[in-house]
Parts: sequence; structure tokens; C-alpha cells
Amino acid sequence: MLSDPTGSWTPVVLSADLPPGTVVPARTPAGPIALWRSASGRPSASADRCPHRGMRLSHGFVRGETLSCIYHGWSYGQAGNCLRIPAHPGLAPPETIRVATHPVEEVGGVLWVGVGEPATQPPQLAGLVPLRSLQARAGVAAIEAAAGAKADADGLLETTQGSQKIHLLLACQERDETLIHVLLEGEGSVAERVAASRAVEALRRKAEALEMERDAP
Amino acid sequence: MTQDAMIDEWYPVGLVSRLDGNGRKTALMGEPIEVASDTDGSARVTSKGRVLPVRVRYGHVWASLGQPQKELFAIPEADQPGRRFVDVGVVRVRCSPLRAVENFLDIAHFPFVHTDILGSEPHTEVQNYKVEIREDADEVWATQVKFYQPQAARSASGGITTEYMYRVPAPTCSVLYKTCPPRPGEWDVITLFVQPLAEDLCDVWPWMALFDDESSMTDLIHFQQTIFLQDRSILENQIPRLLPLDPGMEIPTRADLTSVAYRRWLKRRGYTYGAQLVAQ
Amino acid sequence: MTGQKQDQLHERMTIRGAVDSASFVPWIRRHAAKLGLRQEIRHAGPGRIELDVAGPVELIDMLEMGCSLGPIDVWVETITRTPAAGGTGG
Repeated sequence: MLSDPTGSWTPVVLSADLPPGTVVPARTPAGPIALWRSASGRPSASADRCPHRGMRLSHGFVRGETLSCIYHGWSYGQAGNCLRIPAHPGLAPPETIRVATHPVEEVGGVLWVGVGEPATQPPQLAGLVPLRSLQARAGVAAIEAAAGAKADADGLLETTQGSQKIHLLLACQERDETLIHVLLEGEGSVAERVAASRAVEALRRKAEALEMERDAP
Repeated sequence: MTQDAMIDEWYPVGLVSRLDGNGRKTALMGEPIEVASDTDGSARVTSKGRVLPVRVRYGHVWASLGQPQKELFAIPEADQPGRRFVDVGVVRVRCSPLRAVENFLDIAHFPFVHTDILGSEPHTEVQNYKVEIREDADEVWATQVKFYQPQAARSASGGITTEYMYRVPAPTCSVLYKTCPPRPGEWDVITLFVQPLAEDLCDVWPWMALFDDESSMTDLIHFQQTIFLQDRSILENQIPRLLPLDPGMEIPTRADLTSVAYRRWLKRRGYTYGAQLVAQ
Repeated sequence: MTGQKQDQLHERMTIRGAVDSASFVPWIRRHAAKLGLRQEIRHAGPGRIELDVAGPVELIDMLEMGCSLGPIDVWVETITRTPAAGGTGG
């Protein structure tokens, strides 16, 4: 997570894991969000709570350039404004009926969500190619200990497993839960990618074990 | 939240058909209870050794932690010959028992949650309907509710415009009367009996009294279970989990009239177990 | 669709009941603003609140739905609505 006094950027998902026309839940320091990509490929992030009756919008569906709530079908544009209330089709919803949205930046195959007013742009992560993401029931400190390396200001940590250099982009979800995005220094062969994926799963097990010891009385 | 006025009400705690000697452990408003059949086969419900008031009605065992001031609400259709009485079983839902009832009273979600069964696009408009609180019976009633339904019931063949009446005779129970495809002059009866386990956890016991001589019991049960499992995925992902009595963080519309009347009824009677008092 | 002029209704809404809690009028103003409705509180005293409101009928219905519940320390007995002459001004 990249943060400065006025705001922060959180890497919430890899671009490849959010195809057009889909919505997924994600977590940021400002709370849960519904992260979606319109049919034309534009990503948006809104609060994960429909203003009508509180249903999670991350359970909704994307149609064209709008996100709809699964409960009563209320539809929202990318700016968060309500466009349609199916039970009252004759009404053009006013601008004021809206869901809060967050800025989204898509850089180098990683999707970042802004919270507050971040002063800088998210890092380019030039030369790094995203592989996959995984959740770890372990805090950042335990992951750093397991990797034998420290994460930098962007939340990026470099570790070598066998002959491979693997980069982990960490996003703290809870005190003892971290979202890990795995990036490699180039495409790499299938075998290299599988090896890297397995290496990070092994590292996760180690970090989770360390976290358990830390919590044990 | 204290159990308050809701303690002196009847609540479903199990199926009569599943009563057995060694008893089943469950809960009622946060208190552990045990439901068993007595030596003479009658139902017996105890909580920490105390024998609770008990009734057997509509295929279910009912009990109360307090002293109910009146008998269990009547459903005359339950004694009408020719009806099929269907015990659907139980669905455990991680939400307030009051949220489960509010969802049952709502029709605007049919095209989106029960797609191609109880509703479908583009038939999403909710026509105005009538809602009243019948003071004499102390019940909430919604009438003249109409909605187009592709498969209104197991017995329906083809889409029809269904008419509904909703009734709330107790804080966590609702009775739905809907057009009966095989017998236009009659109403099919579908009920929602909700057992409050905790303020944010409940067991939903649907029960039905239908006219349908074709469908098997299994098909009737599957039809209703499908619908309730679709509702569960909504109920377990709504914020907040309790039922707000102050809609400051919501936008109720005219289509939500029955929900608003139900919340007013709860507010007026102090039925706040499972309710959120301050919007957040 | 949003550009099309909605049929603007002008109504006087009268809310009766135990409504004189200090929190209710601000609650009404917040709820009306959320609905994009222009409103003007004409009277607010024990037992009765009167306001003029203008906008599409579905939105005024929504205001009525919300106000019939309001905050927990309020009990609304009835809400009556009558067409109001002219606009709410401004």
C-alpha cells in the first residue's frame, strides 16, 4: 500500500482477474468495495452497499457500462449515480441518489484503488509481469520474516526462491490478513511460472505458521 | 437488545414429524432450549430445566420463553379439505429474523433474485397496492398486490399475472395468500415461520397449504427450497444484518410500502429484538 | 432519459404524531436532499410538521415512506398530502 498523509493507493486485483462485464468484492482502508469492469473495459470502484436497502453491490451484475444491484436491480453508472429503478421505470433517478465511488488506476496489469486524496500516482512496476494473487492469514511482518526481506514504501518485496527472483506486492487487509500479488521479471516459461506459484504458496504456509506462533499464548 | 415485548410470543421450534424421545437442542432468542416428544407422544420444550408453554399447529412445534397473552394466530385454510400440507424443512440464515420476514414481504426482487420463476425482466414495475394495520387483529395486511410471474407455482403452466395478499400475524411470521393456478377461486397459502436463534441468526421454517394434485411432495418441497436458498444469498449479504427501524441510510420507495408498514408495526409494539434503532 | 422534464408536482405534506423531537426536522431535510427534492418547512411544532415539497411523484412518495418511520425517537401517526399552489419558491 502506498500512502501519504492525504491518501493511499491499494493494489486490489490483477487486471487479468477482472474481465469485462464482471464485479468482485475487494477491501480497502476505507472499507469493502465493489470493483467492476464495464463491457467496454473501464474499471470502477464503488462502496459495497446499495443505497436502496444495503445489499452488497459486489453480488450484482454488470450490463454494458452500468453495475446493477442483484436485489432490486437498481443500476449505477461509473460515476456512482443511479440510472434506473426497475420497480419505478417511469422515474429518471435524480443525481443525488448515488453510491460513493473511489478513483481507480490501472498500471502494469495491476488495479489500484485510491482512498482519500493520494498525492502521488501508483507505482509503474516497470518490467514486472503479474502472475497471480493469493490471500494469506498472516500480517505483513510475518510475510517479510518468511521471505527474509522487507517490503518497500509501495508494499513491494523482492525474494529469491531457487534461481528465480519473485516480487510480492502486499496489501494489508486486516491486522493478520494480507493480499499478495505475485509478479515476475518477464513472461518466463510455463515451468518457471508454475515453480514461482508453488514457491509463493510455500512461503505463505511459512508466514501463516509464523503468524500462529505470534498469536499463540 | 433485550428480548422485551417479543418474549411473550409463540415461535416455531421444530417439525412435529421430527419429534423424538431423545430430543433436539436448539435456541430461542439467545436461550438454549430442547425440543422432545413426551412419553405420551406430545411435544415438550424445556429451557435450562424450565418447561415452556408449547403448542402443536401447522405441522410445527411452537414455544415461548414468556407468557403469550393470546393463542397462536389462526390459518383457517390449514383445516380445508383438498389441500396438500407441505413441511418444507428448515433453512438456517445468518441475518436478523426480522430481515427474513421483510424479504418475504417484498415483490420487487422477484425478477432479479427469482429470475424466470417468480418474476422476469422486463416485467419489473410494481403497481400500487394497499397496506393496512388491522387494529382488531393487530396484524399487518398488504392486499391487491399484482405481479407477472413466469412460473408462479409448481402447478402453474405458463406465465400468469398473480395476485398476492401478505399478512404479518406475529413479529417473526408471515402468511402469503397467492393466486392458485389449478383453482382460480381459491388462494394457495405459503407461510414463513421464523425461529429467532439470536438477533442476527434464524432458522426459517416455510410451510405450505396448496391445491396441487399433480406435483409430487418432493417437487413441491424443491420448488420452495430453491426460492428460499435464492433469498438466503441476499439476506446474508445485506448491511446491516439487523433490521433498521430508522431508514436514514436507505431509500424506501412506494414499492417498499409493506416493508415500511411492517417496520412501523414493530416500532409501535416495541418488537426490537433483531432490530437496529439508529441508522448507520 | 435524464434530460426529459419530469412532471413536477408541488405538494403540501403534513406529518402528525409525536414528531417534535429535535432530530426529526434535520432528518427530513437530509432525506429530502438525498432524493434531490426541493422542500420548505412551513411549520414545525409539537404534534405537527408541515412542509412544501416539489418534484416527481415517485420521489415525493419516497420522502413519505422515509418520514413515516423517521428516527427512533419519533412516532408518525399520519402523513397527508395535498396539491400546493405554485412553486416552493427559489
